[in-house]
Amino acid sequence: MLETFTETMRQRLSRPLQYFFDICIRCGLCADACHFYAYSHDPAHIPAYRALLVKKLLQPKGNPLLDWYRENRPPDDRTVEELRRALWDCTGCRRCTLVCPFHLDTGLLVSTARYALLQEGMGMEMVAEIGKAEVSKGEIIDALKEFYVDQFHAMEERLQKEWNAPDLRIPVGQAGARVLYVPLVGEHAVIPAVKIFYAAKESWSLSLFTATNHSFFVGDMEKAKQAAHWIVDEARRLGAQVIVYPECGHATRTLLSYFDGWFGEEVAGLERVSIVKLVADYLQEGRIRVRPGTFTVPLTYHDPCNIGRNAGMFEEPRLLIRAVATDFRELTPNRELNWCCGGGGGLIAEPGMKDVRMRAGKPKVEQIRRTGAQWVVTACENCKTQLSDLNEHYGLGVEVKGVVDLVADALVL
Amino acid sequence: MDTIAFLVAYITPYIAVAVFVGGLAYQVFQWWQSKPAAGHLSLYPRPHRRWGPFMEVLIETITLKMVFNALRISGSALPIVAGLVLHGALFLVLVHHLPVFVHLFAGEPVGWAVFGTIVGLLFLLLLSYALAHRMGGRRKLLSVPQDYLALFLLISIAVTGLHIHLLHALDLGELNRFFLGLASFQWQPAPQSAGPAFTWHFAFVQLLMVYFPFSKFIHMVGYVLAKMVAYS
Repeated sequence: MLETFTETMRQRLSRPLQYFFDICIRCGLCADACHFYAYSHDPAHIPAYRALLVKKLLQPKGNPLLDWYRENRPPDDRTVEELRRALWDCTGCRRCTLVCPFHLDTGLLVSTARYALLQEGMGMEMVAEIGKAEVSKGEIIDALKEFYVDQFHAMEERLQKEWNAPDLRIPVGQAGARVLYVPLVGEHAVIPAVKIFYAAKESWSLSLFTATNHSFFVGDMEKAKQAAHWIVDEARRLGAQVIVYPECGHATRTLLSYFDGWFGEEVAGLERVSIVKLVADYLQEGRIRVRPGTFTVPLTYHDPCNIGRNAGMFEEPRLLIRAVATDFRELTPNRELNWCCGGGGGLIAEPGMKDVRMRAGKPKVEQIRRTGAQWVVTACENCKTQLSDLNEHYGLGVEVKGVVDLVADALVL
Repeated sequence: MDTIAFLVAYITPYIAVAVFVGGLAYQVFQWWQSKPAAGHLSLYPRPHRRWGPFMEVLIETITLKMVFNALRISGSALPIVAGLVLHGALFLVLVHHLPVFVHLFAGEPVGWAVFGTIVGLLFLLLLSYALAHRMGGRRKLLSVPQDYLALFLLISIAVTGLHIHLLHALDLGELNRFFLGLASFQWQPAPQSAGPAFTWHFAFVQLLMVYFPFSKFIHMVGYVLAKMVAYS
C-alpha cells in the first residue's frame, strides 16, 4: 500500500522537508496553532504528527530492532485514511510554521505530499482538474480572445454611463501599458480595479488570464508554473513593466514567492505587486482621493494568511480601510498570528469539504463575534467565500467586503 | 580494572568522538546535498531584512519571539520557557565541567561546588518536567521511542553526574591528566577520585555522542539552518 505515494515523495524530497523530518522535536506547539486541531483533537491534524506519518513511510525497513524503534509498521487501511485526512485537512496557512521554534514548513510538506497523493489516486481530483484547465486556457486563448474583448467592451460602455465617465476604458491586450492587471473570474474582481486605475490615470491593460492557480494547491508545481507562465508571457509581449495581482491569497503568494524561482530571467525586469499594495501606494502618493468616513458601520479586517504572514502585507490594507471607515476594530489576535478562515488550500474548490471547513472556521467565527463588527473586510477571494459560508452557517449577521471594493466605493472621481 | 571500565575509559571515547564529529558532518552534508525548495518560504514580519537571514534568525532568537508566539497561541509559555531554561542549565553544566578538562584554577573558588549543584539539580529537574510533559495529553500521541530514549540518556547523565559531584571530592589534576592523556594518546591512569560512577557517567556521555547526530539532537546544528529558510 502507498508505494506510489512513497516513491513520489522520495523523488520530490527537498531540503526544508528533510529539516522537518530530522529536526522536529515534537514539542507540540504546532497543534495549538492549528484551527483543524482546535476542533478535532485528531492527531492527524497535528503538523508534527503529519510529518511523522510521512517520515515513517520513507524510512528504511527490515531490521527488527530498528523497525520497533522507528515504529515501522506496514501501512493498513487506518494509516491510509489517517494520511488522507492529514493531507486534505490543511489550508497551508503556515500559522504552525510561524509558531514552530524552527519554522518547519507544513505548507511545503502538505504541498509535496498532496502531489504524491494524487499519483496514488487519493488526491484532490477536482482541484487538479481546475488546475489543468488553467494550463489549457493558454493554449486556446486565441480562440477565446474575441469573446473576452466583446464582454469587456460591453462592461466598459456600461460603466461609462454608470460613472458618468465617457473617457473610461477597459484596455484588453494593450501593448505598451505600464501595468498588466490580472483579475479573477467575475466582475467583482474587475470593476473596482477599473475604477481605481481610471481615477489614478494609470497606463494599464487587463489580462486575458485569471490569477488563480489551482495546481499550486495540489503541489503540482510543474503545472502551476505552466499556468503562471501564460501571464508572464503576456506581460512580456505587451511590454508591461508591472504585473498586478488581484485580491487572491494563493495567487499573490505564487507571484511574490515563486515567480522568480520559476521564471528567473524572464521576470527579472518585471515588478510584481499585489493590488492591495498598489492602491495603498496610489493613496499615499495622492494619485487617488477618497472620501474619509464613507463607511461608519463597525467593521473589522481579517488578515488572509497568504497576504499577511506569508507575504508581509499587514499595514497596507489597514491604511486603506482607515482612510474610508470610521469604526475599525481589530480581531484578536491579528496580523501574523491571525487565525486562518479555514477556506484556503483548495478546500473551497474540492467538493465534500464544506463540513470540515465550517468546523475549522470556528475560531474565526469567535474572533469576529468578539469585535461586534457588522462588516468583515478582507483581501482574498477564498477568504471571502469562506467567511460568507461561515456567516450563513453560524448566523453571524455580517457582510463580507473586499478592501479594494471599499476604496472603489469611496473614490472621488 | 575490569574490562568494561577499561573499554569505556580508553577505547570507546575515540569511537564516540569519531562518530559524533563524523556523524554531524555527514548529516550536514546530506542536508547540503538535498535540493532547496522551489520558492521563498518566507514568513512575516521579518526581524530585519537588511542584515541577511543569519542575523534575522539571531535577532528573532535573542528577542525570544518563540516565547511570545507560544504565549499568544497556547495561553501558556511554560513548556517552551522550561525548554529554553533547560538549554541554559545545560550550558552552565558544561561550563562547570571546564576545570575537569583544562587546568583553570589551582584551588577551587568559593561557591564553585555550589554553582555545580544548583545547575545540575536544575538540569535534572527540568529534564523530569520534560519527561512528565511528554507523557501527558497530546504529546503522548505525538511521541515516538526516540523522544523517550533522548530523555533517558540525558537523565542518566544528569543522575550519574550529580552522584559524582555530590558524593566525591574530585582530584582535578588527576582528571586533567587523564583527559589530556586521551587527547595526546599518552594514556594516564583512569580517575579514581570520581569513584565507580565515573564509568557509568562517561559511558552514558559517549552513548549520547554516538546517538546525537542521528537523532533530533541534530537540532543543535539544524536550528539556524532550518530557521534561515524562513528568511531567505
